[in-house]
Amino acid sequence: MAIESFQGVGVGLRRPHLSEVAALERAPVPFWEIAPENVVGQGGKRHRKAMAILERDPVITHGLSMSLGGFDEWEAEVLDNLRAFLKATNSPWHSEHLCWTSVGGANTHELLPMPFTREAVRHTVERAKRLQGELPVPFLFENVSYYAELGRAEMSEKEFLAEVLEGADCGWLLDINNVYVNSRNHGFDPKEWLAGLPLHRVRQMHIAGHWWDEADGLIIDTHGADVIDPVIELFEWILPRIGRPLPVLLERDNNIPPLADLLAERERLQAAYDRALAPVLAGGQHG
Amino acid sequence: MAERLLALEKAMADLLLDASSAEDFQADPAAFASRRGLDAADGDAMRRHRQRLLVYRELVQSALEDPLPDCFPHTHRILEEAGAWRDCIQAFIASRSVQSAYYRDINPTFVVWLADTGWGQDRWPFLLQLAHYEQLELEVLSGPEDPAPAGLSAEPLPHAVARFSGTARNLAYGWRVQESRAEDPLPAEGAAHLFCYRDRNLEFETLEVDPHSSAFLARCLEGVPLADAASGVGVDWAEARNLLLRLQEDGAILGYS
Repeated sequence: MAIESFQGVGVGLRRPHLSEVAALERAPVPFWEIAPENVVGQGGKRHRKAMAILERDPVITHGLSMSLGGFDEWEAEVLDNLRAFLKATNSPWHSEHLCWTSVGGANTHELLPMPFTREAVRHTVERAKRLQGELPVPFLFENVSYYAELGRAEMSEKEFLAEVLEGADCGWLLDINNVYVNSRNHGFDPKEWLAGLPLHRVRQMHIAGHWWDEADGLIIDTHGADVIDPVIELFEWILPRIGRPLPVLLERDNNIPPLADLLAERERLQAAYDRALAPVLAGGQHG
Repeated sequence: MAERLLALEKAMADLLLDASSAEDFQADPAAFASRRGLDAADGDAMRRHRQRLLVYRELVQSALEDPLPDCFPHTHRILEEAGAWRDCIQAFIASRSVQSAYYRDINPTFVVWLADTGWGQDRWPFLLQLAHYEQLELEVLSGPEDPAPAGLSAEPLPHAVARFSGTARNLAYGWRVQESRAEDPLPAEGAAHLFCYRDRNLEFETLEVDPHSSAFLARCLEGVPLADAASGVGVDWAEARNLLLRLQEDGAILGYS
């Protein structure tokens, strides 16, 4: 599958939709995104449907548990399964979060915040390079939502992200909702934040809905609601600055709606994508 | 070695996973940090971010608990009605037993934790067996595919060895766990010899067998030739053959070699 074929807004392949999607003659989306951890080493009815879809349609993989900012070694079986899945699905790359999820062997299955320190940059870059050496496809880092700083920061999140991307010399999965969530939770201008980062490294984007906890004014990145207009506005602002078509994934992991509703949400985002990139594709300049 | 980074992550794990550590953190974040080898600046940062660090505790507790009520509906209901579910989950999470990179492994890990610790089994002696059976259904339904190897015979001849599906499980419980129902989840005490597998329609099947048949199937699973397996436990060959043919028809036996 040529990388150029992965353009436009795709959707995460979710369990409640498997039967409906498997019954279709062809994909109703440009691509599906899937977490290999949720599929490898399985069998049975649901697994067969998922694999039939993944064999039929374009797929991009996105990982959840390599804990690149952590210390726990990767199990050989996990790496073997991942490599085999990446080859079987022809994913153009594999992404993971810029975070840690486990320590001392204990897995929290949550995306935990990195300390913004030089030591953490060096450590994460070393792990990312090691993982890249294990994978048959390019590796991308995704910027995460974070709700608190862990320990005394020596730099901003933006500097931390830039140094890791440059140090690891890897691509960037830009999660535009996470940028928005962090800008609201930590009080910065998301456009200013984005403008100084290496946009030439962006290979893919994520976009999602979130939950606002009115009680303490905190936004939690739940992937459990429709995308709000300010996030779409930011999405339309950044696309021409990236300046090229690329795959964008609509994430929906909680309160998963019927497939038709999810596809309608995808259409809304595809229209925004087309609108934002039209001047670029016509050879124009962004404002 | 990134020692400060490791110390920060270990401290965070204490806060996220251990109830007593979380209480220490809430009472005095700087002292919490200091006791874990972190300097005053890191302790001060933890104090400033106290409330939001605690948000992560809620997220982690929720992430690790979320799959359990669906996988263990009867176990969950029994403990919930007794007001013990939260204590059970907190003890499970604090044990740090969840280590697999695969989220789906939380369910079998919970069963292993019950077996290792005996949690709650003085009050609910059936708890481990009920949880084991509840988890088994998911394990069988989603177990890896195992197509029949080439060259297997379809006929259960006396000297042959049975090749079972990888989803087949031969189990003996001391409680009638398979009879638990949503309206009455408490299992009755009594032997239950169950042979469980994924059938040809990819559905979960439980076949209750008598103790002799269970012993026969156990020997077959060990690779004992069929007639020897039957005679060794006093099962008539014709009866044994009928059982094998039924399991073969259902997909629990792939063939014979």
